[in-house]
Amino acid sequence: MGFYTRHATLRVFVPGCNAALYSKFRPSSRFSSSLASAPPVAGETASVKSDKASSAYDKIASCLYDVVVVGGGISGLTLAAALKSSRYTSHLRIALVEGMPLASVKSWSPDPDIYSNRVSSITPASQQYLSQIGVWDHVHTERVQAYDDMRVWDGVSGARIHFDAFHLGTEDGTLAYMTENLNLQHALLSRLGSLSSDPPVTILDNTKVAEITNGYEFDDVDLSSWPTLKLSTGDSLTARLLIGADGVNSPVRAFANIESRGWDYNQHGLVASLEMEWDDRQRIAWQRFLPTGPIALLPMPDGKASLVWSTTPKYAAHLKSLGAGAFCTLVNAAFRLAMVDLDYLISRVDEEEIKEDFEWRDARLPVEAEGQQFPVRVVEVQKGSRASFPLRMRHCDTYVAPRIALVGDAAHTTHPLAGQGLNLGQGDVASLVRVLERAVQHGSDIGDEVVLQAYWAERYPVNHVMLGVVDKLQKLYCTDFPPIVGLRTVGLEVVESLDWVKKMIMRQAAGSSVL
Amino acid sequence: MRPRVPTNFSPCVRLLRRNYTYNAPIPNYPGHVPTNIFQKLFLAAGSGIYSFFDPTRGDLIATLGEATALPFLMERLRDRMLADPTGRRILRERPRITSSSLHIDQLLEYPENTIGRTYAEWLKREGVSPDTRAPVRYIDDEECAYVMQRYRECHDFYHAITGLPIIIEGEIALKMFEFANTAIPMTGIGAVLAPLRLKPKQRERLQTIYFPWAIKNGASAKPLINVYWEEILDRDVQKLREELGIEKPPDLRGLRKKRISRL
Repeated sequence: MGFYTRHATLRVFVPGCNAALYSKFRPSSRFSSSLASAPPVAGETASVKSDKASSAYDKIASCLYDVVVVGGGISGLTLAAALKSSRYTSHLRIALVEGMPLASVKSWSPDPDIYSNRVSSITPASQQYLSQIGVWDHVHTERVQAYDDMRVWDGVSGARIHFDAFHLGTEDGTLAYMTENLNLQHALLSRLGSLSSDPPVTILDNTKVAEITNGYEFDDVDLSSWPTLKLSTGDSLTARLLIGADGVNSPVRAFANIESRGWDYNQHGLVASLEMEWDDRQRIAWQRFLPTGPIALLPMPDGKASLVWSTTPKYAAHLKSLGAGAFCTLVNAAFRLAMVDLDYLISRVDEEEIKEDFEWRDARLPVEAEGQQFPVRVVEVQKGSRASFPLRMRHCDTYVAPRIALVGDAAHTTHPLAGQGLNLGQGDVASLVRVLERAVQHGSDIGDEVVLQAYWAERYPVNHVMLGVVDKLQKLYCTDFPPIVGLRTVGLEVVESLDWVKKMIMRQAAGSSVL
Repeated sequence: MRPRVPTNFSPCVRLLRRNYTYNAPIPNYPGHVPTNIFQKLFLAAGSGIYSFFDPTRGDLIATLGEATALPFLMERLRDRMLADPTGRRILRERPRITSSSLHIDQLLEYPENTIGRTYAEWLKREGVSPDTRAPVRYIDDEECAYVMQRYRECHDFYHAITGLPIIIEGEIALKMFEFANTAIPMTGIGAVLAPLRLKPKQRERLQTIYFPWAIKNGASAKPLINVYWEEILDRDVQKLREELGIEKPPDLRGLRKKRISRL
């Protein structure tokens, strides 16, 4: 490996990039770069044409990207798809690095009887954005369940609140769409594959990022502010703008020295794919706040449902270890029975005993309450679909650093009780794309911190408020201390009787103030 | 709902009430008499005053108990039963204690110091039978009504296990013990107001010996409502006392005899 002098202005050192045509990377043809240290547009001086020199420049050119997205989750893929779908930014050279193999996602052919246990609630605002960037057309909509009714109640006092999109008159009557994460990822990959923009997004899956460093500083080209990624395959990528969409333990965030603050909830989120006794076609999302944590049942197509039960780590492990019948009985009990009954049933291990005891207590409940005050019975849990993950709240100090931006879970993590985590990420992507479009139109360097701070300024307060509210709700409802129970019951019943407050809450939760 | 007009009134009353629609509240269990808060207060006041002056009226004491049974406290007691496996079984099987279900004469044949024998001997000594307990009428929740009924029927077992006699002093001491153990309001009312009827010496005995015993043991003992008496009739009394955490109080009849003999 050695130095190649092209002409008086350029000297580079390139460890093994793939060759590509230089013409694919012309940063200055439509707008001028504001940084004097950016690589000049070579090929304009006549003295240049030596084969050895041009192949060397080909090598560096192919490692230089306008945007490198680390993380092929939903936020990262949405960002790549959005940038490529927008006419202002579609010419940018984008690479996406993902540690897991994406081939199985790309070739996903869904089985109508099996639903993944990683499911998200997509707000109408997020769905609209996905539609706008052309992703929603690739989603398997027969596996998406729109719901328009949400019933939330207090497990200790029984106070209820009912959000009904139909009667409260929100725009299209849908509160949110329950979609499998796999469904969205597949749609995003399909969209990326179908985009005909030139250059296409370079997707490097099954590739981990071994190291992130600052770029090299050469005689004439100062890439020291450009982050360079060393991949597990040995290749290198240098980015004008590095996007961290790599989840809670983001290496990009660590490289940028951005601190992430928050705390761990002493709770695990237990997810499962369930089957209901019969399909009541009511499209209701149910959530009950137990002192150990909220349990939520989200409707899925064909009489199936998705469970998200935030509970203590001990209970989560116990629930995962139970037989399918006992587990379903406990889920039913968690929605119907008093806390004393649920605590008793959770401490039992014999399946027959649990079932008999549950039937006895359930027989005392009024028949007409089924499907109205609590969901229809759960009868089956999909094999292998019970899984749990620790819950935490994190918010990082800033979303941007010079030539770095964070989106999605890398920037913030929240409790799943409000179903907002993924939607906040989508909002981040929308905002960042708008900022980048503006930058491109004004001829700015997209990696410039001044440019990126507009994104942080727009998203930070919105995310902070949502994170704060969700966290306070979690703290308020994870106790059975009688004075607090009394206060929250009164508060909930007041809100329940005020339609205008409920409309406001529904509008906020639907994300309509974001877009 | 169809209006329910009482039809057993005389024709002229029915004529006067021609346009009157009366919706009787629906009972929640057989024997239930639904009452509103004012009716309950009236019942409580009336039965409380009368039973103060005539404590032999067991039915009035029962009414006082039901009228003052705050739903919060009865539900708390019921939840304590639900939390315990035996208590849960009692609520499910709903056993009732009557002279026919227990066979008192058989119990007298049981070995010395068993619960059954002690109970039967106590019944004989005091001259009472388990059938004298009135059914619950004024408690609105069906399960709480059973809890109250069960408490009432087990009251004699509490006498037997503590050895307190049926005289007024013994009853008051036992009421205080039950208040500390179950938190039923009527037991507290009885334990606090009833001593006003007593002679000073009796009050002194209560204050120095029996109330401290009752509060200490009632609060620290396991809930007696969770004991399935019918199943443990052949067990040793002292062992049960140790399990539950109850000490036997001084013999009240003995103390009274001693005092009388000294006079």
